[in-house]
Amino acid sequence: MNYKKLAAIPLSVSLLFPMGAIANAADHSGHGTTSMAVSNPATDLRATLDSILSEHAYLAIVTMQKGIDGSKDFDAAAAQLGENTDELSAAIGSVYGDSAGEQFKEIWSSHIGFFVDYVKATAANDEDGRQTAVKSLDGYRVQNAEFLSKATDNRLKASDLEEGLKMHVDQLIWAFDNYNAGEYEKTYEGITESMMHMFEPGKGIAWAITDQFPEKFDNQSVDTPAADLREQLNNQFSTHAALAVLAMQKGIDGAKDFDVSAAELNANTEDLTKSIESVYGAEGAKQFNEIWSSHIGYFVDYVKATAANDEEGRKKAMANLDDYRAKQAAMLESATEGRLKAADLEEGLKVHVDQLLAAFNKYNDGDYDGAYDDIHEAYSHMFGVGTMMAGAIVDQYPDKFAGSMPADMPKTGLGGMSQESNDSTVMWIMTSLILAMAAGAVVIRKTRTEKN
Amino acid sequence: MKVPTLLTSGLLALALTGCSSSHDSSAQTVASPEPQSSLPTKQEASVKKPSPDGLLLKSEQKGIIPVTLEIPAIGVKTDIENVGELENGQMGVPDGVDNVGWFEPGTLPGNSGSSVMAGHIDSLTGPAVFYKLDRLKKGDEVVVRGEDGKSLTFIVTRTEKYPRKDAPIEEIFGFSYGSRLNLITCTGEFNRKAKTHEERLVVYTELKGQAEEG
Repeated sequence: MNYKKLAAIPLSVSLLFPMGAIANAADHSGHGTTSMAVSNPATDLRATLDSILSEHAYLAIVTMQKGIDGSKDFDAAAAQLGENTDELSAAIGSVYGDSAGEQFKEIWSSHIGFFVDYVKATAANDEDGRQTAVKSLDGYRVQNAEFLSKATDNRLKASDLEEGLKMHVDQLIWAFDNYNAGEYEKTYEGITESMMHMFEPGKGIAWAITDQFPEKFDNQSVDTPAADLREQLNNQFSTHAALAVLAMQKGIDGAKDFDVSAAELNANTEDLTKSIESVYGAEGAKQFNEIWSSHIGYFVDYVKATAANDEEGRKKAMANLDDYRAKQAAMLESATEGRLKAADLEEGLKVHVDQLLAAFNKYNDGDYDGAYDDIHEAYSHMFGVGTMMAGAIVDQYPDKFAGSMPADMPKTGLGGMSQESNDSTVMWIMTSLILAMAAGAVVIRKTRTEKN
Repeated sequence: MKVPTLLTSGLLALALTGCSSSHDSSAQTVASPEPQSSLPTKQEASVKKPSPDGLLLKSEQKGIIPVTLEIPAIGVKTDIENVGELENGQMGVPDGVDNVGWFEPGTLPGNSGSSVMAGHIDSLTGPAVFYKLDRLKKGDEVVVRGEDGKSLTFIVTRTEKYPRKDAPIEEIFGFSYGSRLNLITCTGEFNRKAKTHEERLVVYTELKGQAEEG
């Protein structure tokens, strides 16, 4: 296995001709390892769609919060959401043609518009306006389901799609309404849930595309236990980045939902810890939890020091983060028995730390466009991290990732009703039975001889 | 809630500010000298808690551990055995020729993907549970009941015959966004040398959608 091969999701816009994993890794993860079991053209497609779709959910929720608060970074958040739509539409266009991509973009953008209407109506205390927006979203669901079902030759059924889209719409409305009502626990649980949910349509669309154009994806499947692990880790790592960025913003703003955002970030750490535990056991999980939690603490220190204009404090937090990187890297190298190299890991962790700090500093300096570019980078980077971890784990415990399909069809007939005469069947079976018994006798005798 | 006077509204603001800085972490107590505006936010005064009624907020697992299978169109009503993969790579078959075997390492009926069940067409001496499986038509119902008593109805979408050594395993057992239940039995001539029928019959079904129910 070539551990020098780097894993990253192909962030190129063309899904049918994804760039090799290596090309992109140079700028993004710059570290790591993977195995082909984890990364192939089909599973890369799935990861790419998961990344774009789940970031959509995150950015939509953030933009709605910023909208109702009248925050200064609202425009930048909305613009980033627009870029995400461009990326998704280009991806759809790369598979189904430019005009389909345009059509998709129109439909997809419409639902973002309806969310904006919903926020505006809420701000204006206009209940009718809110209801109108919800009705428009109902119409959108039907339209988008129809588009995707048609594009995939009904591989994705409209009724299934509508249900999935309903969940997406409901989750965003729920997260927003609760935010507006000051019900922050529900808001932040909702953020985590709605990001996770997008991995379902991500897998579904990737499955439909690979089923439709199998030769473009080396006839590989999007549905393997290794790919499932990869996406589970991608989801948990990217949720970490998303919540960390948000908690840092809420912290420096002194926002009322800061505590809850930080608590949700800790809940994400617990989710990650459970994943680690399922592979490396309770001891390894405990170690991971301590080290991982420490880096969240150092980010909090950095925010506090920034708020207090304490340059020394900021430097100290950064030094602690350097120290953290070394510890985390050593822990993961040891857990993966050297499949992940500490030096590569440190470099990758540096990218993560630097992206979060840059996103925070730009936000604090009022460079909101820059901040949201960095947030996008930080979010996408985590998909490289999840892929790398999954690659090492699958290589380490291949037995745990065996497929769940038989190699051959079952033998579901004994011939009693076949066209030929039953007498001869019975005769034949009797003969086989006698032969089988004879063979068995030989085996038994042989075993006994060996035992003696 | 109605805010009665300017005075109380001021007090309320004070109370809110005090409360928030006492339970929030120190991150923002230093962060902003005047974190809250002097007016209570409209939200807290007037917005009622949202209700989750009618909202689809979490992926509910519809999958059930199957116990019985009913196919009214061909008079099948039977118990389900769990089967796995045999040493030779074949999907296992039920011990009883009147039972159906559910491929347990695969998908639960009702979840995304393909759940697979196999039944014999015949025994050594006569017809078995899936003897009439080839009579199923598009639109026929297949009902699976789970351990928990819940039942799911699947609708036949198509029927295919494949040579026994050349069936599309990925299509029959693989992933799909919707929920499928695929039924397998033997068909074609009985090859006495190989002691098996020459073909496999697969009846593909899909979970009845909410729109189709009722």
